[in-house]
Amino acid sequence: MKSNVGATPVSYRLAVASRVLAAVFGGYLLAALGSVCLTLLLPTSRIEATVSGMMASFVFYLLAVLWCFACRSAWRAWAGVAGACLVLALIAGLAYWTARP
Amino acid sequence: MLLAMLLCYAGFVALCLSMDRHHSDLLGRKASAGRRQSLRLGGWSLLGLSLWAAVAAAGWGLGLVQWCAVLMLSALLLVLLLPYGPRLALWLAALGLLASPLAAVAQF
Amino acid sequence: MKEGFRQSMAWLHTWSGLVLGWLLFAIFLTGTLAYFKAEISHWMQPEVPARAVSTDSSLALAQGYLQQHASGAGRWFINLPDAREPALSVMWQGPVKPGERGAFMEKLLDPATGSEIQARETRGGEFFYRFHFQLQMPHPWGRWLATGAAMVMFVALISGIITHKKIFKDFFTFRPHKGQRSWLDGHNALGVLVLPFHLMITYSSLVIFMSMVMPASILTAYNGDTRAFFNEAFPGTNNAPAAGKPGVLMPMGPMVEQARQQWSGGRIGRIAVNNPGDENASVNVFRHSGDRVVHDFGSVISFNGVTGQLLRVSPEQSLPAAIAGSFYGLHMGVFAGPVLRWLYFICGLAGTAMIGTGLVIWLGKRQLKHAKSGVMPFELRLVEVLNIASMSGLVVAVAAFFWANRLLPVSVAERADWEVNSFFMVWALSLLHAAVRRGRRAWVEQLGLAALLFAAVPLLDLLTSPAGLVTSDWMLAGFDLTCLGSGVFLAWAAWKMQHPSHTRPSPQPRAERLRSLALKNEVN
Repeated sequence: MKSNVGATPVSYRLAVASRVLAAVFGGYLLAALGSVCLTLLLPTSRIEATVSGMMASFVFYLLAVLWCFACRSAWRAWAGVAGACLVLALIAGLAYWTARP
Repeated sequence: MLLAMLLCYAGFVALCLSMDRHHSDLLGRKASAGRRQSLRLGGWSLLGLSLWAAVAAAGWGLGLVQWCAVLMLSALLLVLLLPYGPRLALWLAALGLLASPLAAVAQF
Repeated sequence: MKEGFRQSMAWLHTWSGLVLGWLLFAIFLTGTLAYFKAEISHWMQPEVPARAVSTDSSLALAQGYLQQHASGAGRWFINLPDAREPALSVMWQGPVKPGERGAFMEKLLDPATGSEIQARETRGGEFFYRFHFQLQMPHPWGRWLATGAAMVMFVALISGIITHKKIFKDFFTFRPHKGQRSWLDGHNALGVLVLPFHLMITYSSLVIFMSMVMPASILTAYNGDTRAFFNEAFPGTNNAPAAGKPGVLMPMGPMVEQARQQWSGGRIGRIAVNNPGDENASVNVFRHSGDRVVHDFGSVISFNGVTGQLLRVSPEQSLPAAIAGSFYGLHMGVFAGPVLRWLYFICGLAGTAMIGTGLVIWLGKRQLKHAKSGVMPFELRLVEVLNIASMSGLVVAVAAFFWANRLLPVSVAERADWEVNSFFMVWALSLLHAAVRRGRRAWVEQLGLAALLFAAVPLLDLLTSPAGLVTSDWMLAGFDLTCLGSGVFLAWAAWKMQHPSHTRPSPQPRAERLRSLALKNEVN
């Protein structure tokens, strides 16, 4: 992530912007999906599960943001977030459809 | 909160002294390994004791909050005093420890 | 890879800290002031008497007043006086038409006589409280921005912790008179030593608005019916609708007494009466949130307003609700007594200073690189101007708010709005001033002005307070003294800015030089 001394090339700026977008929007989606998963999977009452899911969501968000800036390239940032979102969406979907009679 | 604060502050001073760099700054000489060990033990014990003092006085909910507040404040106070008044910092710890039985009596 | 991780976290910390730092500084400073919002409001309405009160008589007076002036209202609210807020406050909402929110009216009553208090119109400390999470923006954008800033603060805190390699070794380290090194030591000390508070305040601010910013769980679990969620989470709002037939409200004294017994001597917070003139009137008695650390959103006892019958006692909090309540309660600090409240204030100032020192360091490090050329590139000049305006400018604006409160005539129309306008106008002027004056000079002038304004507050109070010179009101005295102290601190800061102490020249042995080089690389 180190920049070269001197003029920062456009490609660098684009990469940074890409990571920021992945972190802000991808991270939000990940957090929302994470909270939904928790809400659907926790064995407590509906209200308790909802509150717990929401409270924990920000940790998901944090982890997504850290990943987006720690990984080696902007592509990896998107790949990681998208992959995690997919997994969480699958889990949430399964939990949702199996819960309904 | 006073007892917890006195114990906390003394505990932090002990932990501070248990570090080579601060020990030599404050007391002019390096500490032996044994002394460092006992300072560390003493420091942590004092912190633990201060937690007990806080919880005993105000229950777990409020006591824990008060302990955290006292913890942060005493650490800030010590770090601010160290560069400007190292002697004062040490003396305060000593006086605090001496005064703590009085504070304990006042509390219970 | 480990080295790369720390460095990327350092990059994240540096840039997230800068971009949101100016806003976060404002949020932290106003939020910190909000811990004393009752005291600030008291100073800004010196006409309101501060005297010992009994809740029972004030309740009867409040009920009488509302019966007289707000009999057609849809809801009444009564806030009984307590140690920090000596006035009896009543509020009512106009009749609720379907799909519309009735307008709210609020009045302050003298708790001894029940008559309206003729106090100057002002937002008081509530202004700082509201600003720190609404940012003077239309609903709900301010809250979204503030919560977004809180998320960035969370990221900055965690990335800062990860980056701070010597977090334990440097725990007690603070080396003054060493230029940039001292600023960094200070930033680290304020961050690490007060870390429990910073983490708590940041995460709790996210939890407080979580149902607004992260509604996915609610929508999924309740199939889009958010009303059902809120009714379950806040049972005090779940009341019987109006029957349309008139009914006479019983005196609320016995109901409140019954509630107090249920809570084994707990304090009453606020009382909400729904549909007061109706047969189905209900009285909700809420517990004072200062009774416990963990805020209980659902802690309410409901009565039938006409018969006085106990309808419902809210159940014990579930664990997740207690956790959420802990976040809320810890953030708001209502439970805090005087000593603890001051500690909250100090911690808040530490957080504010942590952000401020970070912004100064960000600029200082890059300024060094351009020191030789003498010309600052536009981006750095922009950061410098924003630093000055968002920090010293904001402080001057706060002082201006207090001065406006005393200088604006009491009978001026829209007085409260004009006090707020003064705050923003002065803040905007400080931005202009910072843009026009050369760096250091702008700092000195703004800090100096702030120092003058704050230090003169006791004099201002003396000259403009209706009570006159001698008053045993220690709340007012406390406010005056704190302002004086702030003025002294700001004067010191201005002086330091004008006469920067050059770093103590110390012989730099080779080891030291190598270490400082390594330091530069690490911090970068």
